[in-house]
Amino acid sequence: MAASVLLACGLNEQKLPGFVHISEESNVDGSFLISCILGQRLRISNAGTLLICLQHHYQHYFNAGMRLGYNSNIFLGKTLNVIDVLSDMAQQGLDCKWLRSSDELTLTEQLIEDIRTQLANNYANRTSYTILIDNLSILFNLGASKLHVQQFCQSLAALAKEHENLTVITKLSNSDIHQLTDDNVAKLGNVRIQVLRLKSGVFREVDGKLLIERVLDEGSYACEQSRKEVLYKVNDRNVKIFNPGEIGVKV
Amino acid sequence: MMSFRKRTVQKPIRGTRTSPHTAQVITSSGNPSLDEILGGGLPIGSICLIEEDRFMTHAKVLAKYFLAEGVESNQEIFLGSLDDLPAEVLRRLPKPLTDEEVEQDLRQDQQANKQPADKNGLRIAFRYNDLPLVNSEQTTAKIGHHFNLMEHMDSLMLYFTKITVWDDSHKELEPKEDDPSYKVSDVVVHNDDLISSSKSLDSEPLPPPVDGIADVLPPAPAAVQVPAEADSDITAVNNNNNNNNNNVAMNSSTAYNTISSTTITPTSTTATTTATTTSPEAQPPSVESQFFYNPRYGRLLNKLKQLLQDEGCVSGMSGQKNLYRICLTSLGSPLWYDDNFASDLLKFLTVLRACVRNCTSVCFITMPMHLIAKYDTSLVPKIRQLVDYAIELESFAGSDRETHPAFKEYSGLLHLHKMTALNTLAVHMPETTDLAFKLRRKKFVIEKMHLPPDLQEISEKTAAGDILGTPNCSSGVSINSNISMDF
Repeated sequence: MAASVLLACGLNEQKLPGFVHISEESNVDGSFLISCILGQRLRISNAGTLLICLQHHYQHYFNAGMRLGYNSNIFLGKTLNVIDVLSDMAQQGLDCKWLRSSDELTLTEQLIEDIRTQLANNYANRTSYTILIDNLSILFNLGASKLHVQQFCQSLAALAKEHENLTVITKLSNSDIHQLTDDNVAKLGNVRIQVLRLKSGVFREVDGKLLIERVLDEGSYACEQSRKEVLYKVNDRNVKIFNPGEIGVKV
Repeated sequence: MMSFRKRTVQKPIRGTRTSPHTAQVITSSGNPSLDEILGGGLPIGSICLIEEDRFMTHAKVLAKYFLAEGVESNQEIFLGSLDDLPAEVLRRLPKPLTDEEVEQDLRQDQQANKQPADKNGLRIAFRYNDLPLVNSEQTTAKIGHHFNLMEHMDSLMLYFTKITVWDDSHKELEPKEDDPSYKVSDVVVHNDDLISSSKSLDSEPLPPPVDGIADVLPPAPAAVQVPAEADSDITAVNNNNNNNNNNVAMNSSTAYNTISSTTITPTSTTATTTATTTSPEAQPPSVESQFFYNPRYGRLLNKLKQLLQDEGCVSGMSGQKNLYRICLTSLGSPLWYDDNFASDLLKFLTVLRACVRNCTSVCFITMPMHLIAKYDTSLVPKIRQLVDYAIELESFAGSDRETHPAFKEYSGLLHLHKMTALNTLAVHMPETTDLAFKLRRKKFVIEKMHLPPDLQEISEKTAAGDILGTPNCSSGVSINSNISMDF
């Protein structure tokens, strides 16, 4: 269902890189990537996953997962843990801990505290652990500054370095608007996936473009990098990948 | 022990159906042609943003359709606006058509389409005689109703609908209205206004209330003649009060549920949290003033939360559910401006989205995006990211295109900026994204954009230059751009 897109992004292996950043251009929907990665992590036995829902409710990821052929509810509380910020906001309103700075903690500090707590409870029992954050731009909307978001991502990157087999995957929407933050966050890791729209317009057979940048070897003087560009089409129950030139306009 | 388990089939929510495209529960937007573009209707829990045209005519028509559909389907309605008087908007809702009238309308449309060809029997080419007539209007959706824009809805219909309005006026601060149980009486106050206004306009006596419901209904007001300039007076008062009320803190009168844990537990199939209800006395003080710089957003959210915490609305609760239609018109207009306008608006939309997703409701927002773009260009994509559907109405009124032969059939262009895959993987895309709308006498129609055949008569160069200069008919990118194809 999602094997091809994961293969193209190099995220189909059991051991993932420490920090992966997904940049999403304005007016492009890259949520399918989170669903694909989540499904892949859940299928690995005894691999823990922490999903931080800022963009959608958990129910969205469950429904999207069902379309991709996995039931995330089976793993909920076992290998899958969820911090559903959106649900908390809906249930508690403006008194929600995410919306008020209690105990001198900012939103991002509160979030990193919760992530650390989850990690302390679950990391030891798992062979590997993945933290999925969807997405960082909501933090900006809720009042976090660029500095706060940058510090938050640096804390996450530090966690990935501290813990073996820990992967942090972040997503940032409107990357063209938050370009500085986007570049800075991407530099914390070795893999960057950019979800781009088609510059030549809308095409029925292709939804957009994935630009995958991977740092192979970061030496003292030179940095070896690989760049790969693929086209994608999100269907009802799968995601298809095309190489540029594979698809043409049929008259 | 018996292994038999009674199958409990949940009753469908009034005015909704399951979409064959995405298997989601959807409801009508009130306008059949808009429903068609959205893949049958708006999914429950979604926010639809209509980016207003410069004269705000067409977006308001769509908002009226949305509200009228709620009244006709007996759903609960929330209407919030600073620019418009909610009572006035409700008074001018379009009248629903009966099935016979819809059929008659369709027949008339078909006849009107046939007439030019049958008049002299001429076509562009004889071989086209065998082809069916091109109907660029989208086919009608299976849910929803049809409305007549020429006539207004009977005010009695509004009596039987739970309507909550918010205009940040002085009425909101009265002790009676602060009571959360005031929802129905809230409607009554405005209905009194409606009735008095309609009386003064129509000079027709209201029909007597139905037996048995008379107790529920408020006593009909005595014949009140509302002067014609009353509306403008009210607007002035409201605006003054809006400014004065900025510093008044509202009490959050809803009962709070304190959630003991933010982590979702696996005990339930849906995303649930262990909740303990506290007494209203123990509720924490309102922090709206800390979160929003402009207290209006907090007041609007509190009003909304009172409504959405109803048992019939929260998803996961048992019992008969009802759909809530939230309509916010001209959100982000200059009346909302202050020093922290951008940050407050984004915060509000983020929290609103969380609230709407968590219950059986749909939200319809109209925003003057051309003004917001002038305030801050980067705000536009940020707002679009926080809604599920972003549709721009580009009206020809006041522009050169109004008299352009290529667009003589249409009132404006419709741009689909965003369609989100909500609770699913892929979103339904319409057959074409080159869409135009026309405001007819009785209805608002969205059609596939096509150029008239007689355009050839115009000097080819000028016509081609003009048309190619427009962003449409080329899937979002002008033909004369130098960008090479991506594939």
